[in-house]
Amino acid sequence: MYKQLLGATLCLLCLLLSGSAFAKLTVIVNPANSDPLDEKTVQRIFLGKEKKFASGTESIPVNQSPDNALRHEFDETILGRNTSQVSAYWSKLVFTGKGIPPKEVMNDAEVIELVSKNPSVIGYVDSSSLTDAVKAIDL
Amino acid sequence: MMKNKLLFPLSLIALSLSPVAEANSVRINGFANFTAGISSEESEALGYSDKADFSEQSLFAVQLSGQINDKMSATAQIVSKGNNGYSADFEWAYIKYDIDSEQSILAGRFRLPIFRYSSSLDVGYSYHWISAPSTVYDVPFNNLDGVRYDYSSFVGDWELMFQASLGNFKEEVSGGSSDGSNVITASFEATYESFKMRFVYGQGDNNFHLPQLDASLDQFAALSPELAEELRMNDDRGVFLGAGFEYDNFDWFVSGEITSIDIEDSFSPEDKAWYITAGIRSGKWTPHFTYETRDGNADIKFLESVAAFPAEYQPVVAGTLTAIQMPFMEEYSVTTVGARYDFDSNIAIKAEISRYDNELDAGVGIRGASEDSTIVRASVNYVF
Repeated sequence: MYKQLLGATLCLLCLLLSGSAFAKLTVIVNPANSDPLDEKTVQRIFLGKEKKFASGTESIPVNQSPDNALRHEFDETILGRNTSQVSAYWSKLVFTGKGIPPKEVMNDAEVIELVSKNPSVIGYVDSSSLTDAVKAIDL
Repeated sequence: MMKNKLLFPLSLIALSLSPVAEANSVRINGFANFTAGISSEESEALGYSDKADFSEQSLFAVQLSGQINDKMSATAQIVSKGNNGYSADFEWAYIKYDIDSEQSILAGRFRLPIFRYSSSLDVGYSYHWISAPSTVYDVPFNNLDGVRYDYSSFVGDWELMFQASLGNFKEEVSGGSSDGSNVITASFEATYESFKMRFVYGQGDNNFHLPQLDASLDQFAALSPELAEELRMNDDRGVFLGAGFEYDNFDWFVSGEITSIDIEDSFSPEDKAWYITAGIRSGKWTPHFTYETRDGNADIKFLESVAAFPAEYQPVVAGTLTAIQMPFMEEYSVTTVGARYDFDSNIAIKAEISRYDNELDAGVGIRGASEDSTIVRASVNYVF
């Protein structure tokens, strides 16, 4: 009985651990950026409502292409709406002189390159793509 | 001297190397609505009759914007509307200056910022309807030539926005003209999580001319110059009031707007309009419902002045006052059910059925020729 329970617990632990090793959406910034970031701030930056980090440094969000599954996950979990709604949101701002949507790139490597080169850039990648050139943010 | 010469090209090189240089390119965006519609009745209502129409609410637009420097940008939007023979017009043309990350100034031509959906009215893709509710949005002023100030900021979890504008407008309305000067608008919007509310005030000195109206007023002036002047819309102060709310948690939404337009010293009846709309977002589908109404069916104005006329003239004066004002009365409502389908991240397909109810008797008022009717429309909206 005891053994069974232990086995089950181990199994669960295994699942949890292996889960974290799988694809996970991770927000990244330049290693030089030490500003505190929470989900709400990231949401505001990616919706163009906030244009600076807490320290006053300009924030430049970089998005992934709508063809990318990670983009859909980011829109749903961080922005709280689907990709079509996000693009409707931006169409409203673009054509009314109120904002320009974040630059879109094709893959994680491009996001990492932009983030590593500029302390203002913020992006997101799959955790499996992380390198030392960027800093992962825990949201 | 020598030093200066050297410094100048060096600073140019520095500029071209800065990341801002990338932003110097011209951005091209655009949008298109292709809408087809047909009404159950021969008489035209909401722009549709019993002959299928493909141009009334169709339009194509291209927007060019360029960064002048890191604080300034210039934008032009050229819109070609089907109900205007697809002739291309500059609907927006402005220079924007970012004072800081919370404030900006826009100068040039832009949409008069009085409604919730004013600015994005042409961009069908940005909302759930095929077109915004006509009872509220169908007004004889559209674009303002002037300046606009925008402020937006966060106070805790509240997002606050303030917008003020100043300028003039001039529009052609079927066979006549409508213009306004010294136009001032101020709007305030507050958003807290899924909830948003908005208030707006606007005023302007209005002129409205139609050949037939001007002819009747000229005739009436022979009888009573004072009353004819009261009726004439000649630099008369108009006041616009509006309020709106929205609750949108992205799974479902409900929103509404109420407006009033009053140009007291003129033939024009006070207009009150409102709508309420709700919808559910389920995957790619957004089924929705809207009820909208306009009441511009007010009492005949200036009748209290009739008593001052000799008895034998009173019927003529009262009759003329009524005859000039009656054609501008209106009272109608529209109930719409429809759905939006997100075909792709930049294409939406929509279909709607609307029931139009003209509350005034046949032949009376501005919509006297419009019978109660059912209008069916389908639309494709695209942005790039």
